[in-house]
Amino acid sequence: MIETIALLPLAVSLICFLLNRRTRLIEATAIIGAFLLLISGGYASISVFREGPWSEGMWYIDQLSALMMLIISFVGFLAILYSISYIRHEHEEEGISLNMVRFYYTSLFMFIFTMVLVVVSNNLGVVWIAVEATTLVSAFLVGFYNKGTSLEAAWKYLIICSVGIALALLGTIFVYASSIGILGEESGMNWTSLMAAADQLDPSLLKFGFVLVLIGYGTKVGLAPMHTWLPDAHSQSPSPVSALLSGVLLNCAMYAVLRYHILLTHSSVGGEFSSDLLLLFGLISLVIAAAFIIVQKDYKRLLAYSSIEHMGIISIGFGFGGFWGIFGALLHMLNHALTKSLLFFSAGNVLLKYKTRGIEEVRGIARTMPFTAVLLLIGALAITGSPPFSVFTSEIMVMTAGFDQGDVWATVAYIAIIVVIFAAFMAHISKMVFGEPPEGMKKGEVSKVGLLPMIVLAATILIMGLYLPDLLSDGLRSIVDLFGGA
Amino acid sequence: MQDSLSLDLVDTFAAIILLTDFMLVASGRMRSLTRLFAIQSLALGGLAAVVAFETKAENIYIIAVLSVALKAIVIPRFIDYTTEKIQVKKEVEPLIKIPGSLLICAALALLAYYVTEPIMDLGTAITGNCLAISFATVLIGLFLMVSRRKAITEAIGLLVVENGVFLAAIAMTYSMPMIVELGVFFDVFVGVVIMVVFAFRINRTFDSIDATSLRGLKD
Repeated sequence: MIETIALLPLAVSLICFLLNRRTRLIEATAIIGAFLLLISGGYASISVFREGPWSEGMWYIDQLSALMMLIISFVGFLAILYSISYIRHEHEEEGISLNMVRFYYTSLFMFIFTMVLVVVSNNLGVVWIAVEATTLVSAFLVGFYNKGTSLEAAWKYLIICSVGIALALLGTIFVYASSIGILGEESGMNWTSLMAAADQLDPSLLKFGFVLVLIGYGTKVGLAPMHTWLPDAHSQSPSPVSALLSGVLLNCAMYAVLRYHILLTHSSVGGEFSSDLLLLFGLISLVIAAAFIIVQKDYKRLLAYSSIEHMGIISIGFGFGGFWGIFGALLHMLNHALTKSLLFFSAGNVLLKYKTRGIEEVRGIARTMPFTAVLLLIGALAITGSPPFSVFTSEIMVMTAGFDQGDVWATVAYIAIIVVIFAAFMAHISKMVFGEPPEGMKKGEVSKVGLLPMIVLAATILIMGLYLPDLLSDGLRSIVDLFGGA
Repeated sequence: MQDSLSLDLVDTFAAIILLTDFMLVASGRMRSLTRLFAIQSLALGGLAAVVAFETKAENIYIIAVLSVALKAIVIPRFIDYTTEKIQVKKEVEPLIKIPGSLLICAALALLAYYVTEPIMDLGTAITGNCLAISFATVLIGLFLMVSRRKAITEAIGLLVVENGVFLAAIAMTYSMPMIVELGVFFDVFVGVVIMVVFAFRINRTFDSIDATSLRGLKD
């Protein structure tokens, strides 16, 4: 079953590769693929949330993987739907060739395939292979436009993330070394075996390993100061890809870090060591993100720095720990993915219309594209943590956890920075939404179909802000149990 | 099983790896960079073969063979072919002069010994000494990446880092589980191919693969 779900996007990718005649045919395949992804991923998540982990040989889905599956399949589904209108517009108006369209969907599904692979494997080594594969595939999507700047971004992305991931491999080997004497060669990297023997693992190797893994995968999460590839890659890639990078890929890397964090919590090292490191990197990311958000001139980079901020918040939540810290951070992973995708889709519409990424040059979206303007404002208010949207809920949970755990200074800093970012972010966005549009700018949305996934997202973050479904909150609760209850 | 000949061989191969690290930093020509990387990979393969012989684990032989075939033959040729094709200048163009670079690398090697000392004795018996060298290789590879101008040298630096990681795997646990090992090789190989593809595109767009021309994106 797990294999079928994992291989599905790969199959769709291959089919897209073979269709080289008509764009409509490729688009139809992509839509069908998106639906299958949503249904299969959603089914897996729901049934794991309801009935507990699936374990099939080298594949394993527990509640944490299920949460990731949910994010991958839902955001993936919407990103593909949005791609249809976005890429079609580029194909028809900007001269993106049929071959490029085919290449785009092939890579997109391949990218989704590698991300699914990250979360369904029971072997930490295979997790590593899959994370590296996500970089290799998505580098093509980052460099999609083949211009100087996008090639630069892709190259930086490839090199920086590969170095990071090499360090993560070193960390994986350390953890393997801590277990090989007890578990033997075959199961020494198996997550379930590692967890069962957690208290016997060598603590100094584990500590060493975790530091390397955190720096390594942390590069991919976008934690400062290893974040330098992120604003470039997010701003240069096509907008639907930016949404996937920001909303899904960063979470997948965070998932890899969490596996090790959970392992350390259960071992004789205890959770304190890894939590403190997560808290530290989280706070650094928040500070760096705030600084660059204030001075930002490019709205896609603005969103990218906001992703660094939110990865920082998630990291801080796990760093604080305790029930609310972990629950809040998990919920925040989902909330950030949904909200940031909405924002990148809106930014995509703005980019297609205004043909510039400069904040200064974009004025009066409210006049030119009223629907996009409303959705962009909703997204901006939501991402900066305004009630009643869902990001607000999870940010409050993390804050509560901070006070509960007695980390008063860290919590005060956390609140202060979030307030600063709110002000700076909203100032940028409101300048873009209001005011007089540039001369000669025609009224009208870029595409009506493209608004649909955005409306779905806006509705979801609003509903989730008001009411958390029992199924989801029970699922998150059982993930918190994985962290040792706390 | 601690045959002294094997121990000597392992130490010799490890010494060659460390030596090539320094020679990589000292070399001024692109050609010699790829040659030295090939020699280093050959030594890594040899080391893996000795370990395989000692531990009688067949899967390590496969690693030895793959490491020689891919990293000592295919990848260096591939990079040479690329540099020739896009007519890269033959000089390495270091951002930090070579004597200074060597001093920094000596410091990095010392740092590697210092860092790994507390965990040295946790490594497996016959390869325990290699851990410090593996760390030194990782650090020197990183240094190569940041201190040279060309995009291609960044890729070679990355490959050196990966050699260091493989050496660490052999030093600590003899190897990784088979499926993981194969996957890692696959990723490394695909990674190099993709980097070369981008090197071609970058060259076409900028008329050079000088990494300093990749400085357009700023805040």
